[in-house]
Amino acid sequence: MRRTLIIFKAVTKNWLRSRSGLFFSIMFPVLLLLVFGAVFGGGGTSTYSLFIQNLDVDGTPTPLSEGFIEALNSTETFAIRTIPGDVTDLRSYARDVLGPLGGNIRVLAISEGFQNDMLNGTLKVRVGISYSTLQTVYEYFEPFLNETERMAMQQGIDQMGQYNASLPDRKASLTLILDASDQSSGIVRSIVMSVANAFNYELMGARNIVNFEEEPFTERQLRTIDFYLPGVISAFIMTNGIIGVTTNTTEFKRRGIIKRLSITPLGKLEWILGNVLSQTLLNLMLTAIIIVVGWLAFNAQAIPDIFSIVFIFIGSVLFSGIGMVLSGLIKDVEAASAIGNAIAFPMMFLSGAYWPVEFMPDYMQTIAKALPLTYFSEGLRSAMIYKYTEGIIINMAIVSVLAAVFIIIGSLVTRWKEK
Amino acid sequence: MAKKVVEVSSLVKQYGDLRAVDGISFELYEGEVFAFLGPNGAGKTTTVEILECIRPLTSGSAKVFGYDVTKREDAKEIKKRIGVLPQDFSALDKLSVKENIDLIGGMYEKKLDTMEVIKLLDVEDKANERFENLSGGLKQRVGVAAALVNDPQLVFLDEPTTGLDPKARREVWSVMENLKKLGKTVFLTSHYMEEAQVLADRIAIINKGKIAVIGSSQDLISEYGGLKVLVVRKGGKEMAKTLQDRFGGTTLNHNGDVFVKADDVNEMWRVLSTLTEMNLTKEIEIQTPTIEDVFLKVVGGRITEEGELT
Ligand SMILES: Nc1ncnc2c1ncn2[C@@H]1O[C@H](COP(=O)(O)OP(=O)(O)O)[C@@H](O)[C@H]1O
Ligand SMILES: [Mg+2]
Repeated sequence: MRRTLIIFKAVTKNWLRSRSGLFFSIMFPVLLLLVFGAVFGGGGTSTYSLFIQNLDVDGTPTPLSEGFIEALNSTETFAIRTIPGDVTDLRSYARDVLGPLGGNIRVLAISEGFQNDMLNGTLKVRVGISYSTLQTVYEYFEPFLNETERMAMQQGIDQMGQYNASLPDRKASLTLILDASDQSSGIVRSIVMSVANAFNYELMGARNIVNFEEEPFTERQLRTIDFYLPGVISAFIMTNGIIGVTTNTTEFKRRGIIKRLSITPLGKLEWILGNVLSQTLLNLMLTAIIIVVGWLAFNAQAIPDIFSIVFIFIGSVLFSGIGMVLSGLIKDVEAASAIGNAIAFPMMFLSGAYWPVEFMPDYMQTIAKALPLTYFSEGLRSAMIYKYTEGIIINMAIVSVLAAVFIIIGSLVTRWKEK
Repeated sequence: MAKKVVEVSSLVKQYGDLRAVDGISFELYEGEVFAFLGPNGAGKTTTVEILECIRPLTSGSAKVFGYDVTKREDAKEIKKRIGVLPQDFSALDKLSVKENIDLIGGMYEKKLDTMEVIKLLDVEDKANERFENLSGGLKQRVGVAAALVNDPQLVFLDEPTTGLDPKARREVWSVMENLKKLGKTVFLTSHYMEEAQVLADRIAIINKGKIAVIGSSQDLISEYGGLKVLVVRKGGKEMAKTLQDRFGGTTLNHNGDVFVKADDVNEMWRVLSTLTEMNLTKEIEIQTPTIEDVFLKVVGGRITEEGELT
């Protein structure tokens, strides 16, 4: 145990002093939370008139198209008026309604198939935002980095860029008609786009109110940020393990640091446990910082409890375990970092960390349900936000089993002796 | 007779089809500096790592302090008592010299005071410097310091000066001379002839997994080094001819330097008195064979600066 603690201390110190470590594990998640919160949080102050025609109707309007209109409404930015489905000349219809002194014409047409396209498109938007956030932060950080750190980050960014480019472009199923002379057209356009990206979370908020009606504390109103906050935390606990542990361990191995330690009385399990503890501390720090930023910037209501802390520990074991497996199987540092990135970034977006699994298209739900991050983020969300005991227990059980499996395989493939 | 610290007998290490260590036997005695001298790929690191209990052997036996390297419990005892500077030593970049030595020291039940070790290696002024900011020579010295932190009886130094510039190399040499003064038994590997000759009490020349010869450098030189050579700088053609008549092995190079080989001391005196008779006024020089000549003789090649056999 003494040796484990010494390893824990040394590995943690080494990490805390590395700029690329801090960048990926703390700076990037914090900025991503801020950008997500700002973009998807919705909200505005002035009111603009907006006509909407909804053609995504299947007998009655589809749930998502209706939810979208509701989401636009809930920004309290628009005074919304409806155009019936049989109207074809939207512009003159709006002109007639507004009358001679009516002001700018703003019409939003929701075409048929909106619900389907929406479900497929949000992934691209989210990845795009994360990619550009990462790039912006990198540009700011670049002057302070040395060559290896720069390369490590560039690699992460490239991986993310490739992933982003590989996603199909989203189809336009929303048509926004604006007057050329409209001073506020830019604002209106960006609000509509943001809400388009965010509305399903608003939906989720509504869904939760319904759920909580069965619980004693019905008043609690959840917002988008409350969904994101544990999502961002769990996503980055995942990347810290799958990218961070993999890259660090492979680098330690390549440079003979693990060999140097194996010549001392240090045992393999002591080494692994020291690393897992270091990850746990790092992830608790990440959680604390994200929660404080969430409180300050968005008045988020996440409250960490003992379950959350236990969850973070188990998650750290799980994702460091995956990292150990990868670094046990891959010798080359560059390959390890590339494979870590190639697993972690898609997992971040295909899991339920950033948007509810229920809203995903069927095929994506199947993928999400196969990803450990889905259960981890769901469990952490249950613990930190919903205080939903059943969700905590089921997800904790799944994550614990996975953690045990991966840390055992990880220990087996970690070589403490040369061949 | 000094105590045996290491005892290796018919040691074999097979990597697939490659027999990297091919049935070698040798011993290390308490307090001596023993060197493995050989080119890259000779099997030096493999042998050393088998003795450090981090690489399994294929056949034969290897004992350190009487403990068997293949037994788990024995390996624990061995690890407590050895210090190691691995080939291509490296440490945690963002930790300071002191923190890195503390880290290694922390792995042992009994250890020396870190600052004491740092003083011993004369790196006090760098104690709080991060490892990543050190020069190659300093990094190696930190590596040696880390190897001493558990106050080991036996120290392995695997190619401690490879890649260092001549000045840094000499600094590491002086550190190694101190180890000897401290009474440590040292197992050194190197592909530098001079290093082995200057530092080691006994040298084993190893090539392709086999030990070619083993012994003190004086013994090896007198047995395999060949003849001493007397050189007359710019002696010229005339002199070469005269000497050639009396002493068979005389040669002349394009600078006009004359080389005369002498079997033994008597022969050398005869050459000198002949030169006196000839009223020699030129500069003379006596060249003694070195380990390089021994190596050339027993292996049939030389080792380049990079460690390759030519
Ligand atoms: N893990 C390994 N697997 C296969 N071959 C190896 C391995 N380690 C070393 N070798 C080979 O064994 C031979 C001896 O290597 P090594 O002991 O490192 O030599 P040295 O230290 O004298 O340069 C070399 O040919 C090397 O390529
Ligand atoms: Mg070697």
